[in-house]
Amino acid sequence: MLLEPKRRISRRALTVWKISGAITIAISWILAGAAIFFLHIFNGPFWISVLLIGMELISTYLFIFLLPSLKWKRWRYDVRDEEIELQEGIFIVKRTLIPMVRVQHVDTVQGPILRRYQLASVIVNTAATSHEIPALEESEAESLRHFISNLARVADEDV
Amino acid sequence: MFEPKRLHPIVIVLTIGKRFKDLIFSFIALFFIWNKGDGGRLVLFGVIAVAIIAIVLTSILSWLRYTYRLEQNELRIEYGVFVRKKRYIPLERIQSLDISEGILQRLCGMVKVKIETAGGSGTDEAEAVLSAISKDEARIIQEYVRAAKSPTQTVESVAESTNEPIYTITQPQLIVLSLTSGGVGVVISAVLAFFSQLDDLIPYERLFRGVEQWDVSNLIMIILFVFGGFVVAWIIALIGTMLKYANFNVIKTERDLIISQGLLEKRQITIPLTRIQAIRINENIVRQWLGYASVMVESAGGSASNQEGSKVMLLPLIKLQAIEEILGPHLTEYQLKTNFNPVPKRALIRYVFRSWIIIVPIVAASIFFLKTWGMLSLLLLAWCTFWGVLKYKDAGWKLAEQQLNLRFRTIVRSTVFIKKNKIQSLEVKESYFQKRKGLGSLEAFVKVGFGGAGGRVIDMDKNDVKDVYSWFSRDDNKRD
Repeated sequence: MLLEPKRRISRRALTVWKISGAITIAISWILAGAAIFFLHIFNGPFWISVLLIGMELISTYLFIFLLPSLKWKRWRYDVRDEEIELQEGIFIVKRTLIPMVRVQHVDTVQGPILRRYQLASVIVNTAATSHEIPALEESEAESLRHFISNLARVADEDV
Repeated sequence: MFEPKRLHPIVIVLTIGKRFKDLIFSFIALFFIWNKGDGGRLVLFGVIAVAIIAIVLTSILSWLRYTYRLEQNELRIEYGVFVRKKRYIPLERIQSLDISEGILQRLCGMVKVKIETAGGSGTDEAEAVLSAISKDEARIIQEYVRAAKSPTQTVESVAESTNEPIYTITQPQLIVLSLTSGGVGVVISAVLAFFSQLDDLIPYERLFRGVEQWDVSNLIMIILFVFGGFVVAWIIALIGTMLKYANFNVIKTERDLIISQGLLEKRQITIPLTRIQAIRINENIVRQWLGYASVMVESAGGSASNQEGSKVMLLPLIKLQAIEEILGPHLTEYQLKTNFNPVPKRALIRYVFRSWIIIVPIVAASIFFLKTWGMLSLLLLAWCTFWGVLKYKDAGWKLAEQQLNLRFRTIVRSTVFIKKNKIQSLEVKESYFQKRKGLGSLEAFVKVGFGGAGGRVIDMDKNDVKDVYSWFSRDDNKRD
């Protein structure tokens, strides 16, 4: 279709996503374990437990291995003088164009896991929408924020 | 105008009324809790009496404390009973003044002025309401705001600027508008919600005891009763719409659109032309069939608490063909032609499938459980299929010079005209299945009040999506 944006997000994002996937999955394993425990106590049908474990195994694979790497492969972005372009999405590929003149403000945010890996997300806000570029190198996120906010200021138009 | 001024004392009555309305449910709750025995009743009346006195006193106090003045090109409002607050709004920041007259205001010859700023990031902080000031005062504020926005013009010269009438609603239009408005649904659901709240009060069980023994005449009675209820709801909605849109009138001044409407409660809305983000034509299915449509202006004013300020009715009822003729000369920037490029034929099947996703399990379940009677749900399926086909037929897009036109149907058919420089962001999507068919979806966002709005067309041809994307992109490499 169209030319893909060129820049990729940090390779370490993959690790971060795997960790947060693992946390989610760990919680769901605990819930599934509790469910199986109660099923056992109340003599529930055995096949439900089997099904639960099967589903847990599949989602462990999906959330820790498959989805993060697909997501990482898809994620591209470009920040040009006049616009920002994003590409994301695993099953549905989404391309977004944000003209620089429409950018209202830029934030960088950093959760505990991101900080551990010296990564940060950049959030670009227009008057109507907000867009996240996840898990960039801290320094890159910082310079991107300066770059965008400078350009956005230059191109100050009325909404 | 430079001295601090108070609002008209009628505000006290308004405030008292409003606070009572807020508290009425607490009163009713209290009534049910404590209305037992003499002691309880005494406490009850005591509490209510104290509450009433408190409401009246604070209403008077808040009126006394509320002052406004124009000073150094700012509208300065000071208010607050316990915590004193000052709100200074720079005049050039004011986006629009919305002037309305409720029944109480009209009795005293006052108007209510709502002051709207750009809405910021969703807070309703920088917004003010002057609940009752005289018409002259309102006009003076209006002129000062206008003058503040155009430093070259003085107050006097702005006042003399020309007014071009755009549209006045006619009597037959008002009637067609009321007959075809969707307000009925709102009234019916309000009535239903009201009755479901009254569960505890109305002895349904006693009313419906022995339903099994009722004969046919009783059933007919019930059906007539329900039907009558719907007719009444419809008439209420009808009158409501008529009162709201009576005397609907639009004029254009040099830089604003001024819309006035209403019979009992008059409203006047001013929309600066530069704040218009998009123009939207809505056709509900009945109006579409009759060839009528309504036109809305989406503007950047308004705030989270007041969505009304951002989507404003411009022409409540108009023949679709007449729109360009009426608005064209006044909104010269916009090309309001309504011919569209359709989505490709191969998208039809996807539109139909999408309409089936929710309904097919329901139909399957009802046939499975209800056997023969479940077959009735096939009618539902047919209706959904019809709706899916309709959505497919209505989807369309068109690029005009510096303008993107999108058409799509949710419940009503919407046609949106957006200037390129008002698009906040543009999104294209391509799912795995869309990719196999060479299709893609397109969505454009504009700023409307708090948050965004815009238009979305699903399953356009891949190359068309690419064209629009390249058109919007400012990067030369994206253009062919």
